[in-house]
Amino acid sequence: MKRVLTFSFIALMFLAGTLSGSEVEAAPQIEEIVDKANLAAYYAGDDGRSDVKMTITDGQGRTRNREFVMLRKDIKDGGEQMFYVYFEKPSDVRKMVYLVHKHIGRDDDRWMYLAKLDLVKRIAASDKRTSFVGSHFYYEDVSGRGVEEDRHELVEETDSHYVVKNTPKRPGEVEFSAYTVWIDKETFLPMKAEYLDKGGSKYREMEALKTEMIQGFPTVTKSQMRDLRSGGDTVSEFNNSKYNIGLEQDIFSERYLRRPPRVVRR
Amino acid sequence: MKGYSLMSFSIKHPKTVTAILVIFTLLLASLMVKVQVDTDPENMLREDEQVRIFHNQVKEEFNLNDFVVLGVVNEQHPDGIFNVESLTRVHELTQFVRNMHAEDDPAKRVVTRNMIAPGTVDAIEQAGLGQVSFDWLMKTPPANAEEVERIRQLAMNNPLLKGTLVSEDERAMGIYIPVSEKDFAAEVRIRLLDKIETYDKSNGDQFYITGLPVAEDTFGKEMFVQMAVSAPLAMLAIFLLMLIFFRQVKMIVSPMIVAMMSVLCAMGLLIGTGHTLHIMSSMIPIFLMPIAVVDSIHILSEFFDNYRTIGDRRKTLEHVMGHLFMPMLYTSLTSAAGFASLALTPIPPVQAFGIFVAIGIMLAWLFTIVFVPAYIMLLKEESLAGFGVSKTSSGGIHHGLSAFLKWTGAFTYRRAKFILIMTLAVLVAAGYGIGMIRVNDNPVNWFNEDHSIRVADRVLNSHFGGTYEAYLVLDSEVEELDGAGVVDWFGQGLDRLTDEGADQQVVDRAREILAGESGAGSTEMLLESLRTVWEEEMFEAEDAYYDSWGDVVNLLESFDSRSEVFKRPEVLEYLLGLEEHLVENSEVGKSNSVVDVVRKVYQELYEGNEEYYRIPDSIGGVAETLITFQNSHKPDDLWHFVTPDYRKANLWIQLREGDNQVMQEVIDTVDSYFAANPPPVTINHQWAGLTYINVAWQDKMVFGMRDAFLGSFVIVFLMMTVLFRSPVWGLLAMVPLSVTIAFIYGLIGFIGKDYDMPVAILSSLTLGLAVDFAIHFLERSRATYRRTGSWKAAVGEMFEEPARAISRNVIVIAVGFTPLLAAPLVPYQTVGIFLASIMAISGFATILILPSLLTVFESTVFRKIK
Repeated sequence: MKRVLTFSFIALMFLAGTLSGSEVEAAPQIEEIVDKANLAAYYAGDDGRSDVKMTITDGQGRTRNREFVMLRKDIKDGGEQMFYVYFEKPSDVRKMVYLVHKHIGRDDDRWMYLAKLDLVKRIAASDKRTSFVGSHFYYEDVSGRGVEEDRHELVEETDSHYVVKNTPKRPGEVEFSAYTVWIDKETFLPMKAEYLDKGGSKYREMEALKTEMIQGFPTVTKSQMRDLRSGGDTVSEFNNSKYNIGLEQDIFSERYLRRPPRVVRR
Repeated sequence: MKGYSLMSFSIKHPKTVTAILVIFTLLLASLMVKVQVDTDPENMLREDEQVRIFHNQVKEEFNLNDFVVLGVVNEQHPDGIFNVESLTRVHELTQFVRNMHAEDDPAKRVVTRNMIAPGTVDAIEQAGLGQVSFDWLMKTPPANAEEVERIRQLAMNNPLLKGTLVSEDERAMGIYIPVSEKDFAAEVRIRLLDKIETYDKSNGDQFYITGLPVAEDTFGKEMFVQMAVSAPLAMLAIFLLMLIFFRQVKMIVSPMIVAMMSVLCAMGLLIGTGHTLHIMSSMIPIFLMPIAVVDSIHILSEFFDNYRTIGDRRKTLEHVMGHLFMPMLYTSLTSAAGFASLALTPIPPVQAFGIFVAIGIMLAWLFTIVFVPAYIMLLKEESLAGFGVSKTSSGGIHHGLSAFLKWTGAFTYRRAKFILIMTLAVLVAAGYGIGMIRVNDNPVNWFNEDHSIRVADRVLNSHFGGTYEAYLVLDSEVEELDGAGVVDWFGQGLDRLTDEGADQQVVDRAREILAGESGAGSTEMLLESLRTVWEEEMFEAEDAYYDSWGDVVNLLESFDSRSEVFKRPEVLEYLLGLEEHLVENSEVGKSNSVVDVVRKVYQELYEGNEEYYRIPDSIGGVAETLITFQNSHKPDDLWHFVTPDYRKANLWIQLREGDNQVMQEVIDTVDSYFAANPPPVTINHQWAGLTYINVAWQDKMVFGMRDAFLGSFVIVFLMMTVLFRSPVWGLLAMVPLSVTIAFIYGLIGFIGKDYDMPVAILSSLTLGLAVDFAIHFLERSRATYRRTGSWKAAVGEMFEEPARAISRNVIVIAVGFTPLLAAPLVPYQTVGIFLASIMAISGFATILILPSLLTVFESTVFRKIK
């Protein structure tokens, strides 16, 4: 299995409850920690649905909101998966859809459907570390950064956390020099991440603000991404999260961009 | 008379007096260690000035910084700037400045996230079929010609970048370096220059650095250096000239000491009272020095002329001080009044300048009457041997001057009417010239033509849309709706849904609900119940009706976002019209706004098809275009152009020239556009940006100076009337200075020199200095007339020592300030030329016009004196 670690915190709600830290006796190997964290953060259940509310606050304290429904279906745990994001607010972009086919070992396929313009756009692979609809989260945070893209190192083990430092294998492709993740020993949820810029100073910070147990899956229901340079941040809240709801795979196709499935309704 | 007894005291106790003065001066001068330097011309405006508050608000609200502009230009390479080597340097320099901050203060830094450079801006590009991509324009330096070509195409096809980041002729690339504080700009420039110094420029790369913060900050810093060079040089020149006139080093040291003490005390007081050392106040020494030595020169000159005949220094001093006391007091008072009147201007640094020059003048007067006599008394009597002219045996310069003055005196008596007619002619011509005065300023022009900032300004503005920034902020007003208005609004919204193809059954049902709820108490309650009921209908709707119900529920959001004016296509079209009008009809080189973002992204959404380089037809289309843009690396860039609530928009305007006049023209063009083309919704507009701030303080300066000048004119006239106890004589005293001022400002109008900050400030100096000679001349004329009984007899005597004293003063100060002409800063040259002209013209005016007037109007003016 490919080693995948991500800190994609919109997707943190999809958790693997089976990976309870209490079952782990001795300190696991770094690969194991990273894999479990990846599963906990992105692969809970076989599929899932959540209402997401993003509150984007800029350095001046001005806020904007995004509300969307997020659907996810795993093809294989820790492997291929699909995301369908249906926008409800702001109202002038209602019905906008963001679709991802996540691949391992090659670039993801991503689409954006602009409903008012009735345009389907493929999103280029190079855009992974650009802003997700104006928030402080990146696209890569939504669907996950490939674990194989970084080198991992267990730098510290505290009473409650594994502290893992990740260094990109191809530093030219990313804006950070390294990032450190605090992984909960119990749930294997990444609880905190700090990004260092090329000069080595911390400029970006994620924190899981609230976790809940949903259908037996530990789930991050509130997380925050802070941009330390601008002083802005984005808080994502996940409501009405459900797992294993039996999503059809064909929902995650171009066909459903123009005609959203009924399941996105509340 | 108190002052007179003070003078006698110092003649009697020279040592005590000297000791007291030295201690006094040292005490005040020691306050200077508290100095705080302020080189920001923005402080010409009070901190709570509306213009400034707004400027700062705009900078914060739209997250704007003042830019240092670094231009890399290549005129030599066939592909201009687009070659591997040049772009590699651009990349290197970008990296070099990225995280730059002041060593001692990390808050003074380059604001990296707002930098505009090929490595820090996103290119919007087509990435194969149906794909739009945001990628850094130049993440790493290009390795080969293909990569260079990609960068070239992306940059040239992006209207947001063309004309700003890269010049239209493809020869220049600009790196816009935002600085958190303006006073970090000069340091950024210096560090960049050091870095650039290490480059081999044989490939034709040239580097230029400009931008208003650089000009202003560098000017401030160079000014202080210049101050330290020019003031002593002027001192030296004055010293040498006095040496020629009086030939006794020991004697002429005293005016130097008086000038030094006055300057030290005035500056000590300025700083000690908590004022910053601003560009304005740094000029205090150079203004104070000539005024401070004037009185001493009068004393020395008369002492020089009388010492031989009287023989005893104490008697000579008493004689000289006896008839110089009143004129010296009054010349000092009038000069001080002229400067003190600057306290009436609304400009804090000018107020401080005026007040402390005035204080300095009065201190100089005090030092002159107390110290100069004490100093002469402290000299050994023998060392004065050989001092002064014997009336029979002087030659050289003294002989020439005396002979010339004698001839002049006779001429004014014989040709009085001719002189007066000529004066009138000069006045008429001057009046015409004054009418031609052009009020204008530009901090970049404070540097010499060949200063590297000035050169950079010329070169870069010939390549780019302009390095001068102004911000036009548009603020919309949305009308509040009452209960019935809200119901109407939703009614119209539902009509629109029908037009847009929503299901009629759904719309009708929604309308029914609206009618049912329209009785709700308040707007909030109405909205709340509409939301509850409509959403319920939506959730329960059949698949076929779900979308239409969604559209209905959406109306609630649209109602809330009614105020998002700058998303509306018709408003954006209006903005576009305004921008196009500005570029066509004024010096605006380029303007950047949300319109450019929308059009560019819209075009790229349609495969780069040029037909789509326009504003989408619907508000939803605009919204989707904008949210697409926010998928970039720097989504916040949008908030430079609109506020997140879309109620305010900012037009970033680039001007190729920073002259205040140019800015004023743009302001007028915008005003008339708004007047002639009413916007679709109420939009208020207001300006910000450094180029605009300069216009704002210039206006205050010009009118403030004018008022202060007129005020002090009246005050000086009243003082003259009191001094001479006659309004007629008071009026006479005003003649030379009026002619001088008219002449100088007329000349400025004729030669087309801009009426700028230095010129404005110098008007107060004119008044203070030009009246001096008239006071001396008139005071002596009356005394002489009393003794001789006729003007014809008096005129000969007047053109002996009194005229000589005036002439010496003219020459000493006029020539003394010529070193300023060599200064690399234009305001210094202006001060130098002005001082020389003021002295020369007011001197001439005094010894030509006053005697002519006295000749012609002898019977009237001398009636009472007889």
